[in-house]
Amino acid sequence: MRYLTVALTKGRLARQTLDLFERCGIDTAGAMDKDTRKLIFTNEELGLRFFLAKGPDVPTYVYYGAADIGIVGRDTIIEENKKLYEVLDLGFGRCRMCVCGPASAKKYLDSGEMIRVATKYPAITKDYFLNKKHQTVEIIKLNGSIELAPIVGLSEVIVDIVETGSTLKANGLEVLDEVIPLSARMVVNQVSMKMENERISEIITRLRNELQKQNA
Amino acid sequence: MNNRVIHTPEGFRDLYGDTMKSKVKLMDSIRSVFDKYSYQNIETPTIEYFDVFSSDIGTTPTNELYKFFDRDGNTLVLRSDFTPSVARAVSMHFPEEAMPVRLCYEGSTFINSAELQGRLKESTQMGVELIGAESAEADAEIIALTCESILAAGIREFQVSVGEVDFFKAIAESTGLDFEKIENIRKLISNKNFFGVGELLDESGLDSGLKEALEKLPQLFGGAEIIDEAEKYAFGPREQRAIKRLRDIHALTKERGLDKYVSYDFGYLSKYNYYTGIIFSAVTLGTGEPIAKGGRYDSLLGNFGKDYPAVGVGIYIDQLMNAISRQGRAPLM
Repeated sequence: MRYLTVALTKGRLARQTLDLFERCGIDTAGAMDKDTRKLIFTNEELGLRFFLAKGPDVPTYVYYGAADIGIVGRDTIIEENKKLYEVLDLGFGRCRMCVCGPASAKKYLDSGEMIRVATKYPAITKDYFLNKKHQTVEIIKLNGSIELAPIVGLSEVIVDIVETGSTLKANGLEVLDEVIPLSARMVVNQVSMKMENERISEIITRLRNELQKQNA
Repeated sequence: MNNRVIHTPEGFRDLYGDTMKSKVKLMDSIRSVFDKYSYQNIETPTIEYFDVFSSDIGTTPTNELYKFFDRDGNTLVLRSDFTPSVARAVSMHFPEEAMPVRLCYEGSTFINSAELQGRLKESTQMGVELIGAESAEADAEIIALTCESILAAGIREFQVSVGEVDFFKAIAESTGLDFEKIENIRKLISNKNFFGVGELLDESGLDSGLKEALEKLPQLFGGAEIIDEAEKYAFGPREQRAIKRLRDIHALTKERGLDKYVSYDFGYLSKYNYYTGIIFSAVTLGTGEPIAKGGRYDSLLGNFGKDYPAVGVGIYIDQLMNAISRQGRAPLM
């Protein structure tokens, strides 16, 4: 039997995913163990393998077929824009992609004037401002601590993920507009879905049933 | 002399030695399949007027076409696909009495795609068009020819997955939903999002039968038994026609002993209006992209003033070569 390979997003998302798999009765072969230096975990009985990767790399592994299944945030799926099947909303990792800034920056969004926007997600930002807001903006790509940008005057507003909003508050910023809601998704390689239809559908159905039980 | 350019632009390459040898051999074996089915060669120019590949006709986004001007200021493009060129040529040179015609082509296509996708910008395509025939036999002939070409290439494990775009179009039209909502549903179905369609339709107050049909579409793929399952949702005559067409195709591929390579996918849709009946693509392990794509486009020749139905397939030789070499090369673990 060919192995089915699952790429997980390192960090909390991976732990929640592995937990979900375990609850469905799928043994994840010690991938939960934090102290291990192993990169790949094999469940011989079901022919399943798990590995951890950086979020933006998960769609890449799945697109090229190095992994058949990936678990990754919706923000990354949209930003990477690869041809994948997005089959299931796992419901956890819920947060929102928002336009944020000091309260005084709200007027820039209503006036439609040219502003600077700092973000880690240039594709989502571009789509939002050009196609939904019809506002011309200059997008500045940053790699972390996006909240800094309006404070030091690099940009008027930012587009970033907001979970609780406490980082924003501590820095005198607030949510000015919501771009899209986000959560963890399961993506599947388009070729694998056809070639391994039965095994992959079986996993999807088991996860879905567990999620429904949980919500009921 | 360090500045002398000896490398190629990104997305273009030299081919030589063993790789070239195997490409020539591969193309020879596919040529002999086209020959067996009595397809005649046609050559169209590499450069065409932009209008031939405009957004209502082609399936390449216009910003990914290589464009330039002639001396009179007309916009020209490098062909991104053969089908529009062949359709144009047939409208120009073949009268109604000559129908049906079987034509095959081979050559380079050019797509100025985004950087770093690992994709070639100049790639070799071989394909056929069967013009002037609208029967299920014609569809089945093209699917069989696709299977035989892939087999001739030496690949044994592959799936040709066949959809029928009119099945979805008919259901979508009978819902009476607006264009934007239907486009969202189409995207979710194309993504095989098993549950997103249901969530989207929850507040729409749609008739429960139609809602169930749309919800089910992302999961309606698999062997011939899927056709029976889809029939439960065939409320109108257009849906029933689509079911009958796929059933006929299944019977004909079975006769040829090729049914094990063919599966059916009612959620296989296209964002282009180009396809009017069946749509299919062939996939195999080792390459994330299809190795062949085809379908029926009965209104395409209408753009060139002729009313001929048409069905065809394009085989992506470079993807096929990737698949062959990667299938022979197992990963480390």
